Amino acid sequence: MDKDYFMNAEIPWNGLNNCTAEQSFLEPNMDQFSHFESSLSSGLSNDAFVLRELIGKLGGGAGIGTSTTFAAESHPFTNTTNDSSSLSSPKLNFMGNLVNSVPLTPPPPPLPSLSTDPGFAERAAKFSCFGSRSFNGRTSSPIQPLGLNNGDVALRSSHHPLMGNGKLPRVSSTPSLNKLQNGSNKILMEIPISRPGNGNGNGMGFGSDKKLSKLSGSGANSNEESSVSEQIISGETGSKISNEMSSRKRKVVSKGKPKEDRSTSAKGVEEGEDGNAKRAKAAEIETKNEEETKGACNDESEKQKGNQKPPEPPKDYIHVRARRGQATDSHSLAERVRREKISERMKLLQDLVPGCNKVTGKALMLDEIINYVQSLQRQVEFLSMKLASVNPGLDVNMENLLSKDMFQQNTSLPQQMYPLDSSGPAFYHQQNVQQLHNTNISSGPLVDPLPLDAPNLGIHLPSVDGFNESISQFSAFTEDDLQSIVQMGFIQNPVSFPVPNQTTNMKVER
Amino acid sequence: MKTEKNLPRNPSSIKTRFAVKFLQAMNKMNKRKNPSTSMAVKYKRYQFIRAAATSSMASAVGPRRAWSRAVLRKMRNHTAIHRFPMNNKTRTTRRFPITRRKRSSILRGNPRQEDDLGFGQEDDLRGLVPGGQGMDFCRLLSETAHYIKCLKTQVQVMTNVLHHYST
Repeated sequence: MDKDYFMNAEIPWNGLNNCTAEQSFLEPNMDQFSHFESSLSSGLSNDAFVLRELIGKLGGGAGIGTSTTFAAESHPFTNTTNDSSSLSSPKLNFMGNLVNSVPLTPPPPPLPSLSTDPGFAERAAKFSCFGSRSFNGRTSSPIQPLGLNNGDVALRSSHHPLMGNGKLPRVSSTPSLNKLQNGSNKILMEIPISRPGNGNGNGMGFGSDKKLSKLSGSGANSNEESSVSEQIISGETGSKISNEMSSRKRKVVSKGKPKEDRSTSAKGVEEGEDGNAKRAKAAEIETKNEEETKGACNDESEKQKGNQKPPEPPKDYIHVRARRGQATDSHSLAERVRREKISERMKLLQDLVPGCNKVTGKALMLDEIINYVQSLQRQVEFLSMKLASVNPGLDVNMENLLSKDMFQQNTSLPQQMYPLDSSGPAFYHQQNVQQLHNTNISSGPLVDPLPLDAPNLGIHLPSVDGFNESISQFSAFTEDDLQSIVQMGFIQNPVSFPVPNQTTNMKVER
Repeated sequence: MKTEKNLPRNPSSIKTRFAVKFLQAMNKMNKRKNPSTSMAVKYKRYQFIRAAATSSMASAVGPRRAWSRAVLRKMRNHTAIHRFPMNNKTRTTRRFPITRRKRSSILRGNPRQEDDLGFGQEDDLRGLVPGGQGMDFCRLLSETAHYIKCLKTQVQVMTNVLHHYST
């Protein structure tokens, strides 16, 4: 009993010691959240879902840091000393903006009422921006969020030095909301863009998108979000937005995004799905990396920035997706240049590697290239082996050799079929090279090793599909070569030459 | 086949340079010893010729190319290690397990953007081309192109030498 008592006592005690704040913090949050959910459920089921994710992330996934920060923040926010309530209150307040905005449909500014603390106001702005933007303003008009913005602008201007542009047009989220509701459960965040107000635009916040994905923590969601946003957003604004997003963090984020945009725009015509997949992956990985690399504070500041951007006077909405045309931001340009460089090089390689003309696509081309390089290397090995066995002690007249070399350029092709996999051991089985070298090739019956070439040939051939032509050439050509090779006893081992039967008449003398 | 002596068309081409160096190496080897052609000797000679071919090709190309630099570095390390087996600090082989592009892509959170269709071709190519570990894909392709060109000339020259020897 005592033990049980202790156990029972210890557990909560430990819990308290370890993560009191978080637990108590989380639970009430969840409770609050469920409460919020119900309130939000009116026509915003999707958003509520995302919100839940968001909060869940904030409470749990975001990490202890956030929870502790929340805990820390709770005090200034509310005067309540109760841990749970205080802990929950910031969240509540955060969500409150959202919640308030949602049921209140009318404009926003629960913020001002709640912002007893500038810090809180910032955070509230972040979240409100996150939520309210998507939930709130759209119901009334794109301009509604401005009410929030007024408070936020000051905050933003003060807290967002990274935002290069003073004006951060807002992205309307109503259409985005509608689309969200119609489509997947994603929250589209707004990104200020200097675009003529487009109420119908998809209010997909560029950076906020990333944050959202971070917050939600599900790669799939983020991918879908980005895809949804991209689908909805037009290219021009996307490029503009990315240009305007001069913040450092934005840039980190935007690297993925512009690439995504680029990929979608450029590949939308070409590869479409690949681009989406890559984009999704990029978004996912980028968001995850961002999450990893940044601490709680960073997250907060990022959210802040993200939230600060939208609250700007709602000039325009960012449409990240650059479906039409091509994105013109520096990143996409660089990426495009890089891609063109690579395709250029692939073309060069295509010219170098024989038999690549019929092959299309990078993967097959690379396969061909790899095979070719391997075969060339094997050829060199084989030739060196031959040289080692052929020229013991022969002095070479350099000039003669050189002149001959310059003229003998016709030997490249036939040499391609020297599979040298087993040529190493061939050396060891070689006997009396000198004698063999001096003997004539007699037209005797085939030696045993020769028939082995066929199966070996069959084995080796499949690996060098592109060189069938050279095989035939080789078989037609190198009688002399074969003879010399045979003399060295190479054929004793399955060196797998494409040896036509006629030329295999030789006798290995011992 | 045997024609009159003519001046090489391009005395300073890679081909010529390689041929010269390779033949010099061959001569050196031949002068070194002239024993009976036993297996072991032949094998050693084969190894030597192979190394000579590679290194003479690399030195003919010069330090302009990443792959030739890698090859030369390897040769130097190899000889250094063999001459001074106790000294392990001379090893300067590149040890980048992650290529620059992969690193940057990891940092940026982007998956491999180019070409990696999951067949590991890029890695194969990196393994084939000397010094291919530390460069991005774009550079790898150009290095591969040059490497292929040099391999071709190498094969040509060696075949010609062989023909000359055997005839």
